[in-house]
Amino acid sequence: MEITWQTIAFAAFAVMTLGGGLMVVISRNLWHSALFLMLSFFGTSGLFVLLVAPFLAAVQVLVYIGAIAILVLFAIMLTRRMMGLEETQNTQWPAAAAVAVILFIILVITVSPLVDEKAVTDIFGDKVANFNANLPVDPDAKDSGVVANQDLNIVTVEAIGEALVTRDGFVLPFELASILLTAALIGAIVVAREDEA
Amino acid sequence: MEGFYSAVSLVVVVPLIGMLINLFFGKKLGEKGAGFIAVSASAFAFVVALILWATLVDQHYEPAIVNAPLIHSWISIPSAGIDIPWQFRVDTLSVTMMLVVTGVGTLIHIYATGYMHGDERFPRFFVYLNLFLVFMLILVTGNNLLVMFVGWEGVGLCSFLLIGFWFDKPGKHPTEGTVGWANSNAARKAFIVNRIGDFGLLMGIFLTFWTFGTLDYYKPHEVIHLEHDEAPPPVFAVEGAEGEHAGEEAAHVESGSEIHGIFTQAELWFEEGNHKVTFGSIDLDFDAVITLITLFFLLGATGKSAQIPLFVWLPDAMAGPTPVSALIHAATMVTAGIYMMVRSNSFFYNSDLTSFVVTIIGISTALAAGFMALGQWDIKKVLAYSTVSQLGFMVAAVGLGAYAAAMFHLVTHAFFKALLFLGSGSVIHAMEHGHHHAHEHGHDEHGDEHDEHAEHETHEEHETHTHHDDHEFDPQDMRNMGGLRHKMGLTYLTYLVGGLALAGIFPFAGFWSKDEIIADAFTVGFDEGELKGYLAIAVLLAAAAMTAFYTWRQICLVFFGKPRTAAAEHAPESSALMTTPLAILAIGTFLIGFIINAPKGFPLFGWLFGEHRFTLFLEESVIHAHAGSFNWFMAILATGIALAMIGIADSIYRKPMPIPMEKDPLETGQYQPLFALSNAKLYWDEAYFKYIVYPFQGAARFLANTIDWDFWHNFFHDRIIGQGFQGAADVISQPIDRQVVDKGFMSLATGVLAAGSRLRKTQTGYVRTYALSLMMGALLVIVIILLPTLRDLLGI
Amino acid sequence: MFSTPTFDELNIWAALPMMALAFGTCILLVADLFIPKDKKVYTAVLAGIGLGVSLLIALLQASGVEIGDKSTAFEGIFVVDQFTHVVNVISLMAGIIGIMVSYDYLERTGTERGEFYTLILFSTLGAMLMGSSRNLVMIFIALELLSIPLYILSGFRRPMLESEESAMKYFLLGAFSSGFLVYGIALIYGATGSFELVNVWQTAVDILEGEGAGQFTLLIGIAMVLIALGFKVGAVPFHMWQPDVYQGAPTPVTAFMSVTAKTGGFAAMLRVLVTGLAVVSASQGKAIDVWQDSVQVIAVLTLILGNFVAITQTDLKRMLAYSSIAHGGYILIAIAAGGTFGVGDSSAQAALVYLMAYTFTNIGAFAVVIALERNERNTITLNDTKGLAQHSPLLAAAMTIFMLSLTGVPLTAGFIGKFFVFKAALEANLEVLAVIGVLGSVVSAYYYLRIIVNMYMIEGDAHPVADKQPLALRSALWLTAMGTLILGILPYIMTDLARDVTLAIVGR
Repeated sequence: MEITWQTIAFAAFAVMTLGGGLMVVISRNLWHSALFLMLSFFGTSGLFVLLVAPFLAAVQVLVYIGAIAILVLFAIMLTRRMMGLEETQNTQWPAAAAVAVILFIILVITVSPLVDEKAVTDIFGDKVANFNANLPVDPDAKDSGVVANQDLNIVTVEAIGEALVTRDGFVLPFELASILLTAALIGAIVVAREDEA
Repeated sequence: MEGFYSAVSLVVVVPLIGMLINLFFGKKLGEKGAGFIAVSASAFAFVVALILWATLVDQHYEPAIVNAPLIHSWISIPSAGIDIPWQFRVDTLSVTMMLVVTGVGTLIHIYATGYMHGDERFPRFFVYLNLFLVFMLILVTGNNLLVMFVGWEGVGLCSFLLIGFWFDKPGKHPTEGTVGWANSNAARKAFIVNRIGDFGLLMGIFLTFWTFGTLDYYKPHEVIHLEHDEAPPPVFAVEGAEGEHAGEEAAHVESGSEIHGIFTQAELWFEEGNHKVTFGSIDLDFDAVITLITLFFLLGATGKSAQIPLFVWLPDAMAGPTPVSALIHAATMVTAGIYMMVRSNSFFYNSDLTSFVVTIIGISTALAAGFMALGQWDIKKVLAYSTVSQLGFMVAAVGLGAYAAAMFHLVTHAFFKALLFLGSGSVIHAMEHGHHHAHEHGHDEHGDEHDEHAEHETHEEHETHTHHDDHEFDPQDMRNMGGLRHKMGLTYLTYLVGGLALAGIFPFAGFWSKDEIIADAFTVGFDEGELKGYLAIAVLLAAAAMTAFYTWRQICLVFFGKPRTAAAEHAPESSALMTTPLAILAIGTFLIGFIINAPKGFPLFGWLFGEHRFTLFLEESVIHAHAGSFNWFMAILATGIALAMIGIADSIYRKPMPIPMEKDPLETGQYQPLFALSNAKLYWDEAYFKYIVYPFQGAARFLANTIDWDFWHNFFHDRIIGQGFQGAADVISQPIDRQVVDKGFMSLATGVLAAGSRLRKTQTGYVRTYALSLMMGALLVIVIILLPTLRDLLGI
Repeated sequence: MFSTPTFDELNIWAALPMMALAFGTCILLVADLFIPKDKKVYTAVLAGIGLGVSLLIALLQASGVEIGDKSTAFEGIFVVDQFTHVVNVISLMAGIIGIMVSYDYLERTGTERGEFYTLILFSTLGAMLMGSSRNLVMIFIALELLSIPLYILSGFRRPMLESEESAMKYFLLGAFSSGFLVYGIALIYGATGSFELVNVWQTAVDILEGEGAGQFTLLIGIAMVLIALGFKVGAVPFHMWQPDVYQGAPTPVTAFMSVTAKTGGFAAMLRVLVTGLAVVSASQGKAIDVWQDSVQVIAVLTLILGNFVAITQTDLKRMLAYSSIAHGGYILIAIAAGGTFGVGDSSAQAALVYLMAYTFTNIGAFAVVIALERNERNTITLNDTKGLAQHSPLLAAAMTIFMLSLTGVPLTAGFIGKFFVFKAALEANLEVLAVIGVLGSVVSAYYYLRIIVNMYMIEGDAHPVADKQPLALRSALWLTAMGTLILGILPYIMTDLARDVTLAIVGR
């Protein structure tokens, strides 16, 4: 594997994403957890950039960091008691961790065609690697270890917008999503409103 | 005349209308109105059944299939190959059952208007009774197994409702003292035990459908087919069809005409000899499949017809009002199992294994129940065990291939057992009245008892028999009776007729039918040399001996001797509403045996009334029915045994009994253990409770308490996760912990523990357990889905 | 750049029931603002009218009237077939009866707010869309549209602690399971390159026959979708939320949710599994078993746990919750049958018939609970049904019908449902499953019957509940009881609707 700027950037973003995620889980302070979550989100958006998906990257920053993470921070600040909370009451996390690890291993095998084929062969043996090869991914791109190949359409905002409203696209789900948001909005009002009684 | 076949839907519809009227207007109509509606509905159905019988005779016994109005295309999905129409079948077998059900039913309806007089739920009783008729008639008239099953379940429901009809009547035992438990428990027991049988029947029906692709007994083209409200089915309709679909439909006709009903098809396949039935990857011999189906049917029959091992519900079912015991639990519903087996005689006849099992179950039930009847004190319990025993005779007859004999015994038994039950009801009724009477007039023979219950008595009016009676006096206990012969002449006479018929004394009905079964057993045993025949002769003769004994014991204890209580002393004869049906049934019991089925070769009677008329009648629809010949040797032997047993019983019980009577004469002598065993019903119920009911309840409790709560919540969550992993948690978290939070190892451990105990108190804490369970479920699903692929991959 | 499609091009009229309902909901939302607080009965009536209009259109369509001219709308993303129609009818009936049982309850508990009805309508719309979609993205959005209103509705009885707690639990776990669904959809897309179920099917055949790649990806995708939908329908071991939520939520909401969530969940499950993933090798005419084993295992676990634990419950709502889990198990039997080659359509028909029967019966049973709760008590134990027949004979009669139907006694709708389910299982050679199902219903007789015994044969502690119930609740009780009986006696009403349902692509 030759070292290019892409590889270095990928490594940096990967560390950001995974490290941030790990710290979210093990940090004893909710406030810190929330901040680490933002870091992890940021790493993800970096990965999107590397995958030549600038729109997704932007959305990731705007929605997840700009809106969701900030919302989480607000929520933590508003519930003051949780700010000072420094011990978790979770006794079952080792079991959860075990389940998570097993699931993780399964998923790694699942997505392994996106990873270097040789690495899979080294770890899991011939059969597994062959078995999962040839996903609809361009074969040339495999060596680079990162799927960023020229044949994939670079997804522009325009393309996404078009897909959302053309009739052979996602016009119905798009419309439905707005209904869904309305329903969620009403729900939020119901939950948040003071009782008039 | 053909058109009268279609009147068969009236047989079901009229009682239904009667039921609906009483359901909605019963209270307004009052006792007289409601009783009138119910009786006329039943009587009308009887008339229709008579018309059907006449039609059959007129049409040379040609069976007919009639589409039910409105609900004819009952369950029908052509694309999925399901077509189960609701059709009635009119043939000699179903008409026989209709006549018995509506005929005896009508008499019992009339009787019940007298018996239930004054009951606060009078209209409701008749709603149930008519509803029962509806379902029983659906059961016997249907042309396929599923319609029969609807009736089967329906009569079970009615039985459940009627057994528990007096749910507010106090129980007899101190342990059952709380109001209502005894009767509602009996109802529940009946229903649940029957569900086991129903499970067998249902499995049998599923298998039948799988094997034959239909559930119809016979297809319309195999008999006269009558339209009701629809165009004829394509089989007939498209004979001359034209146009572009003609070819297609012609093919349909051809394949359609080859479809047979299950019984015709079964006979064909048996003749063919090597038919296979495919179950997934297994091919089974047709013989084996039929054996399986019939064994499942047998399980169904043991439930409904109270045979070993499922007979335990019937004696308890006597908690219901006496007309119910007579109609449902003696004359009609309990014979549904016999009817079902006779109806499926094409299956049973051809399966040797099943026939053998059926015989064994029949004879062992006849014997065991006969034995249990010997030591009962409750007048109705004796009759209940007697019913079980007689049903055993019928089942044994089915096993012996004597289908006509089984049906014959079914008919005569319906008469004499209904008579006996109604007679016992008359006695109980009289005892209750006598009891009230004695107390009103201060006949203070049981002084203490009287004082105790004086308070209760003042609340109750003399006329209405609300069944909140006092606990100690049991109007059904034969020890409290005696000498009723002089008080209730008509009841005594009719009871005597019924008893002699039950004991099988010439010329009463029971003699003819019971001897036909024993004669058939003789044929199977000595002429054909089959084991089941020899067994049946021996066991059935023993059972018949017991029958004579307990019958005479009962008659002695109830009617002979001197009154043993004030109640018996003051027992009045029952009203004409009750005694008239008794008289009619008694005449029937006397006549019906030789009038409808005098055996071949019996002097005079055969010449007078025609030989084997009933059997010949049945042969038109029951393929394997055959007439046996009269067997002088067996007849004389059986009658001799019965007379001897009556003599023995007479010598034991005809003498004066001590007052108050507490023990049976047999209970003091060397027969004490035997009597105790009989009185305790061979400890059958106890065994069921010990080995089935308690373990079952235990299993349910185990699943709920131990698995779901102790294991999952307490053990798994708290112990395994909370404590077991706690050590691991500490070890893993220590280094990270020190860096992130400046807290010591010990404080974390105590924190975890404290949190754990807090956790147990707050329900919210369990969300994460739920989530974890979800995760584990996810793992399970993923592993199962991946398993074949992984196995493939690793070459296992 | 691109042309705006016209209504006709989209074939929008074919989706008229959904359109009408969505439109009606929006009108209701605005209209509710002008309805004064003490006149919320108008909102309820309006909501009922909206559902009724939609139901009318759906019934017309179900009975064969063609509205719109093609079998799909919105370029194939929305399917208009008999399955859609039947799911529409079931969901809309549930919605209407749900509103009927709610009004009085809300008034009585002082939680009367117009949003309640809006949310019910939204949720109904979600369930309808779940049945009418052949596109995984649509299924996800529809699932959320079904679920989010339910989360809110569960907590509608603020500030009652149990209600809020149940909403919280439902929401947290529901969100968790939604994650599974999205992940599963993504993996299926990754393996097959399409959201469209028909395309998924075509590619999946190749993949599983070893010609394409990404077998693991596809299989785990399937598993994840199965898990998420299994959660929605409360299948064991994803059931743990259900007793708590059913017990805690306001009873009308429980009644509504117990039917609607199951209808939507099972409809989507049938679409995804039977249409999209019943993978059949065209050459050999044999199915490659992908999900049948896991559905079977889940079905068995569900049947056993649901039925046995229900025996030990003393709280009526909680017992009904476990019973509802068990009934999910029966429908899962039908779905498992769909994994066998050639049984797909029978399986869908059986599941729909069962759902129809279950809709009337189960809402009815909860309606009785609502009627009992009118004594201002929040928990109804089994003891509270004692002696019911004496002071409220009609209520007891209705409950008897429901209990018999849930047991599966003939001449009730429940029997017909069970009959079709077991038949489908036998057709699919799943005899063991059918036997376990039958045994399960024998066990269930124990706890259903106990209620009948309580009502008719045991003297009560005299908490008289008059037969005189408010008009809406009374009509709902009549409707459900009569529905249960009529569907049982004249089952062709259901079977006629279901008979034309076809889901499987091959192997009919």
